[in-house]
Amino acid sequence: MSLRRIGVLLEREVVRGPKNFLFIFTIAVPLVLTLVVNLVFGSFFSGKPKMGIADQGDSQFVTLAHAVDSIILKEYATDADLKRGVEYGAVDLGLILPAGFDVALAQGQKARVTAYVWGESMLKNRAVLGTTISVLLRQMLGQDAPVEIVTETVGDGENVPWQDRLLPLVVMMTVLLGGIMVPATSLINEKLKRTLRAITTTPATIGEVLTAKGLLGGLLSLVMGVLILLINRAFGIQPLLLVALLALGAIMAATIGVLLGALVKDIDTLFATIKSLGIILYAPAIVYMFPEIPQWIGRIFPTYYMIAPIMEITQRGGAWPDVALETVILVVLVIALIAVAGVVGPRIKMQEA
Amino acid sequence: MTDEAIIADNLTYFYGQLTAVDHISFSVAEGEILGFLGPNGAGKTTTVKLLTGQLVPKGGQATLLGLDVARRPKEIQAQIGVCFEIANLYEQMSGVENLKLFARLFGVKEFDVAALLARVGLEGRGKDRVETYSKGMKQRLMVGRALVNRPKILFLDEPTKGLDPASAQAIRNVILEERARGATIFLTTHDMLEADKLSDRVAFIDQGKIVALDTPHRLKQQYGKRLLKAEIAGADGGLETREIVLDSPDTPALMETLFSQENVITVHSEEASLEDIFIQITGRGLI
Repeated sequence: MSLRRIGVLLEREVVRGPKNFLFIFTIAVPLVLTLVVNLVFGSFFSGKPKMGIADQGDSQFVTLAHAVDSIILKEYATDADLKRGVEYGAVDLGLILPAGFDVALAQGQKARVTAYVWGESMLKNRAVLGTTISVLLRQMLGQDAPVEIVTETVGDGENVPWQDRLLPLVVMMTVLLGGIMVPATSLINEKLKRTLRAITTTPATIGEVLTAKGLLGGLLSLVMGVLILLINRAFGIQPLLLVALLALGAIMAATIGVLLGALVKDIDTLFATIKSLGIILYAPAIVYMFPEIPQWIGRIFPTYYMIAPIMEITQRGGAWPDVALETVILVVLVIALIAVAGVVGPRIKMQEA
Repeated sequence: MTDEAIIADNLTYFYGQLTAVDHISFSVAEGEILGFLGPNGAGKTTTVKLLTGQLVPKGGQATLLGLDVARRPKEIQAQIGVCFEIANLYEQMSGVENLKLFARLFGVKEFDVAALLARVGLEGRGKDRVETYSKGMKQRLMVGRALVNRPKILFLDEPTKGLDPASAQAIRNVILEERARGATIFLTTHDMLEADKLSDRVAFIDQGKIVALDTPHRLKQQYGKRLLKAEIAGADGGLETREIVLDSPDTPALMETLFSQENVITVHSEEASLEDIFIQITGRGLI
């Protein structure tokens, strides 16, 4: 395989790709969907996570919290005001700091703090605020603090916000749509217009052609995935791990796209196949959308291992140990798909219309 | 390095039950133009695909420039140019972009795209999108694309099919220029006159088998009848035509009778066409 020729073929794809309707479609759909979800569910302009504090003493915690840029801090005079504020969603999380909190910590005593969590607050906001509290406590003491936080959900605790429910679907559509459709349609068009035969009658191999198309799909998928998470302010605190997971998802999508492009005869058949495959591809997001469905069902589908770790990081503030198992399974799936593409690709059937 | 640029040895290919190429053997010398003639479905394009590494033979062997095509297709494809029967250009790209893309795939660094466009009669249209080209222009661009790497062997599959006379002539000129440069040319065509005019040798393929292979001249000698056609003034004042086969024992006597007893107006000789010979050999026409 020649990297130079892959570069030449990729350059052609990049230059010609944006003039393709499907290329634009795969970029526009996730962006429009994000915009609609955010506008409909009213969280597009919600800004940073909001924390309320009712300080019964004069804690240094409040001073430190004011200095944190990534959250909005609101002080309440009484516990009742704070609880009401959380119930109405004025803040995502409310913290009651008891009198003598700082002294207790300084003496190494175990402090008990009550935290009200707004039931409809977004998971990522809860994750950010939880992390912020840990960081501030460590800042106060210079070590892990012996603090017991008693959480109480107030407001509608059963109602997971729709933006949270829809985020996996938006992310999956972003990663899969471009990653699959761009290489698949490009390959099918080349077969139908017989340009693939012309290209492969030069020193360029079918493997180089498939790699170039897969790379374009993968890059588009990765860039769009990062963009959508940024727009949704869902990048979490593990950006590198998240990008790595998105990259694996992008490779998975691009390999599926290359396989479909190699096996499917024409664009109509591709759309019919995508419709049929859609339920398998997006099933984990659909399961996630409805918490009443047993969540283990999502694990049956391969794309679960792409979206689950991403959501764990973005919505629950997870780190590597929380996503290691799913990530390893995802890596195995990606390697298996590439191996299948390696076998099927060279046997690609060129259409003889 | 062998003197034979192309060697087909018992080359065989079948699609399911249909044998498209049936144990054909031939060779083409360096710098030679071989015209490959046959009706639709005779196996011409399959033979081109086998020789250019697009298909792997089910039997036999194809050797180009001393290399086994099935084993080393990419090494061979780097040294050949292929002009396909059906246009397969990137229509959304310009002529120049098409040529440059293929030149880069071949790893050609020094490449005068304007000169190549001029050679195929497309000067001034290089920056236009291919989708705006006429059929003849696309075909000329295809020929140009097959030349970007200065190929040692040029495969042209029906390069002038359905073209206007000017486009067809432009392509014929390029073929002769390439031969003069030293390239070997494998030309499949329906056009018997074109094959006769351009080819050093012609091969007739029918139902996957080569039924004749020789120079046009020798094929005509072997299979054709040389005729003398004379127009004579008839008794009613009109013209009548007389034909005399030249290679017959009766020829001298018939000639003497013609010129002594008839009022001969015009005389010309006529030799068999390649199409006549093909029909004679196979019992059917080329279309």
